[in-house]
Amino acid sequence: MIWLTWRQFRGQAVTAVAALALFAILLAVTHPELASLYATSGFAGCQGGSCGQPAGAFLSQLSNLTPFGGPQAFRLLPAGANLYVIVYTVGILFILIAPAITGVFWGAPLIARELETGTGRLAWNQSVTRARWLTIKLALTGAAAIAVTEGFSLLQAWWAAPISRAVDEGGSVSVFSGSRFSPLNFATGGIAPLGYAAFGFALGVTAGLLIRRVVPAMALTLAIFAGVQVVMPLWIRPHLLPTDQTTAAIAASRATLSDLGGATVLTASAVPGQPGAWIISSGAVNAAGQPVSTLPAACTPTAQSPSPGPGSGTAFQSDVQRCLAGHGIREAVSYQPASHYWPLQLTETGIFLALALGLAGFCFWWLDRRLA
Amino acid sequence: MTAVIEAEGLGKRYRKQWALSDCTLSVPAGHVVGLVGLNGAGKTTLLNLVTGMVAPTTGTIAVLGGRPAAGPGQLARVGYLAQDAPVYPGLSVAEHLKLGARLNPGWDDALARRRTDQLDLDPGRKAGKLSGGQRAQLGLTVALAKRPELLILDEPAASLDPLARREFLQDLMAAVAEEQVNIVLSSHLINDLERVCDYLIVLADSRVRIAGPVDELLAAHHLLSGPRRDEGRLPAGMQVISASHTDRQSTLLVRVSGPVLDPAWTVTAVGLEDLVLAYMKQAAGRGRRGNRHLEALT
Repeated sequence: MIWLTWRQFRGQAVTAVAALALFAILLAVTHPELASLYATSGFAGCQGGSCGQPAGAFLSQLSNLTPFGGPQAFRLLPAGANLYVIVYTVGILFILIAPAITGVFWGAPLIARELETGTGRLAWNQSVTRARWLTIKLALTGAAAIAVTEGFSLLQAWWAAPISRAVDEGGSVSVFSGSRFSPLNFATGGIAPLGYAAFGFALGVTAGLLIRRVVPAMALTLAIFAGVQVVMPLWIRPHLLPTDQTTAAIAASRATLSDLGGATVLTASAVPGQPGAWIISSGAVNAAGQPVSTLPAACTPTAQSPSPGPGSGTAFQSDVQRCLAGHGIREAVSYQPASHYWPLQLTETGIFLALALGLAGFCFWWLDRRLA
Repeated sequence: MTAVIEAEGLGKRYRKQWALSDCTLSVPAGHVVGLVGLNGAGKTTLLNLVTGMVAPTTGTIAVLGGRPAAGPGQLARVGYLAQDAPVYPGLSVAEHLKLGARLNPGWDDALARRRTDQLDLDPGRKAGKLSGGQRAQLGLTVALAKRPELLILDEPAASLDPLARREFLQDLMAAVAEEQVNIVLSSHLINDLERVCDYLIVLADSRVRIAGPVDELLAAHHLLSGPRRDEGRLPAGMQVISASHTDRQSTLLVRVSGPVLDPAWTVTAVGLEDLVLAYMKQAAGRGRRGNRHLEALT
């Protein structure tokens, strides 16, 4: 059975290994310059709480660099992009879509192709029970799917370690700006890719078993998986653990005004004393701690200037902050502290692994009892 | 001796449609069993139940005394060449034999190699590039070489041209004679079955119409012709399967346990094909809903 599984899977395995190898070569070629840049940046040696400035300098140096023989070599790249920006972005995208790819191309056909072409009737009439057939198929192909995604993730983590550190220390330049809590970074860092890979694969297998045709099963797998990748960071992840609450001065929370569908809202961008915290929601409150739905007219954009566009920038925002603070307005923030990163990673990965196991269990039951 | 197939009130429903209903059968060992019926009569469903590919909706079934596909031991005792002889297109002939060897503890590699040699199946050829007949032969080789006690073939000759079909069936019979295996073979062509089977099951409209050894079936059915007579006025124990009447004459195909004694009848023997067709026509004549074209799933 192991031989048959391998024989049917080896073409896909070769493709996956080739993709991983290509990615590894890309990273290995670009890594030395990145490392030496980091070593000479003055940020490498920085210890303690006040590394934000050198971190930002390092990132901006990195994103302004045009490596390997000047701009001619990169005419094909979009303006303002350089190799590091692109490798970093591509790496994250790879980790993000690898579970979808393995779910769609390895998971969905696993049973669906046997049903669609009728070969299942050959396989399941040898002296091997369907349960054992499925166990070995799921275990080997599923483990490979998880390994591929985790491989991408580990390679990226190794390559981007200086960038991640700089972002954690508060640097924020170009694409190197998302904290590790940002939707893309959270799903592609830590152990989360394991959960996504297992879930995507099990989802594909289940869709294939129920739909019994390869192409529709692939489409459904992709649609559901993409949906989950959107729903999870937006609506579920913020509430996996109870949030902490605090009320801070407007300046300390670096709150800025923004126009949200006609309503002017005050959004915090930092939690005082909680570096690296993930802000879930924030809003203005008055001195009594009551939420303020309408900000004092004297401080709103119409009173200050016609439009708070990007041009009016920092000066405008600090005027607003001062004005609101004068009216006794403070900022209430609910957030996940930085210390929640690993508990959140564990919870999210646990949820996806549990879903994957549940789907696998369902497949066993269906294949054994209900298959027609 | 344990019956090869023992079914009691067996039924299978797909959604709202019964593909097989109320099937009670006891097929003794030592036969080549023909399962005949129109497309959609329930042949594949019955064979899928026998191999455990599907679970029954109602009733029970035992195959060689065990529950179908209950475990590796039971699976090893039953070989199945499914309809259209499915093979893995990307695997070579030799790899199919390797598959059989890896997945079956009782695999007879010498038998498999002897057959592929005899049949001129190139071991290196991808199964996807074989002709329909070669695919069926490869499928049969894999099913035979696992050395089952019961070999089930679902329309094995359906996709073959007449010449290849005859060769395939001859080859099958030669293999059967050598390996001493029970066979259940389905077809919608009575001619195929007549040549090789000594036990017949007629399925029509998802029900078993008649089952038994071919010689007993032939002995119990007669074609009667004589002066026109009402079917209601026949002696008890005489069951009319089909009847045709002209103004003055009646021709009846009847089933009786003993000899026909009434001198008014001219009694002639019935051919197997006529007998089977009469049962099929009888089922169709009952005007059941037109599910004839609903081929069973899988």
